[in-house]
Amino acid sequence: MMDELDLLKKDWNKDDNKYPKLTYNEIYKMILNKSSSIVKWIFIISLLEFAFWTVISFLLKDTESMKRFEQYDADAVFIPLMIFGYIILAYFFYLFFKNYKTISVTDNAKVLMENILKTRKTVKQYVAFNLIYLVISTVAVLYLEFEKDQQIINQVQQATANGEVFKFYATIIITTVLLLAVAIGILLLFYWLVYGILLKRLNSNYRELKKLDS
Amino acid sequence: MKKELEHSFIELLEKHQNIVHKVCRLYTNNYDAHNDLFQEITIQLWKAYPKFRGDSKFSTWMYRVGLNTAITLYRKSKRRISTQDFEGVEFKIKAENYDDTEEQQLKILYEAVHQLNDIEKALVFLYLEDKDYREISETLGISEVNARVKMNRIKTKLKTILNP
Repeated sequence: MMDELDLLKKDWNKDDNKYPKLTYNEIYKMILNKSSSIVKWIFIISLLEFAFWTVISFLLKDTESMKRFEQYDADAVFIPLMIFGYIILAYFFYLFFKNYKTISVTDNAKVLMENILKTRKTVKQYVAFNLIYLVISTVAVLYLEFEKDQQIINQVQQATANGEVFKFYATIIITTVLLLAVAIGILLLFYWLVYGILLKRLNSNYRELKKLDS
Repeated sequence: MKKELEHSFIELLEKHQNIVHKVCRLYTNNYDAHNDLFQEITIQLWKAYPKFRGDSKFSTWMYRVGLNTAITLYRKSKRRISTQDFEGVEFKIKAENYDDTEEQQLKILYEAVHQLNDIEKALVFLYLEDKDYREISETLGISEVNARVKMNRIKTKLKTILNP
């Protein structure tokens, strides 16, 4: 008995005229159009992410509390932190472009998928780094405030006098943790949605390919 | 220089465009989606063309870029709703010696192939295009043995669909 696929093959190669015939001009118009591939979208979104975190760090620098910090004589902590931040940004930027350049549509399917996922992973690590940085900075800022801000020191003293020092600290810690959790939660949800939609197909195809080779 | 490149590319693609149409046929099921994917594959081919060395055949190179676009780069068409369905309109299956059972079988087979996942479709596509297992494994990045095993599974799957 004839194999099912051979039956299909016979028909598949039988009549080439059943396909539309595009003319020279139609193809010419097509190559003038812009691609809407996921690589392009990942590239754009990644650049936006880099921009987002850079803008955030600039905005934070100009806030009232940051200006107050300058009076605290904490340069020894903040300047190295800032330089460290920029080095990390440059490092991730370099990695990102290096990965992006290696994406080639003429690689085999598996390698192509791996290279795209690698680019995505670099940006993911950068975002993770920023989130951790955010948490550490918040803790450092809180610590400094408690140490140096006269107004807060007074409040602590008053709370101690009233026997409510534990409640005072607990309120501040819980509020900070909650605010951070909400901010991080919103960001993560956003990333999850954007990349989830964008990479759904790639991820499932990559899993399928890996399953084949396991 | 760019004009020359453009010209040689368009001429080659015009000549071999059926390969792209065939990829689109397998991965889409309506007119708009077909055009959309064709467009994206054309752009990817054009972007990669300056690096095309000519040491591989243009058609072989097209299989790779075409499939990679279909299974990796392409986001499904935004214009999903279409009243025109391909299997019915453009690609009506005609058996030369009209054979009701064969025609019926083919129809079911095409439908069955459409239900396969993206990777299975790629294997079937390369098989239909008469590529050997070495080329199939190189295009997808899996081992030759695994390509063979998978192909046999697909055949069994299709057999089951056809003879339940």
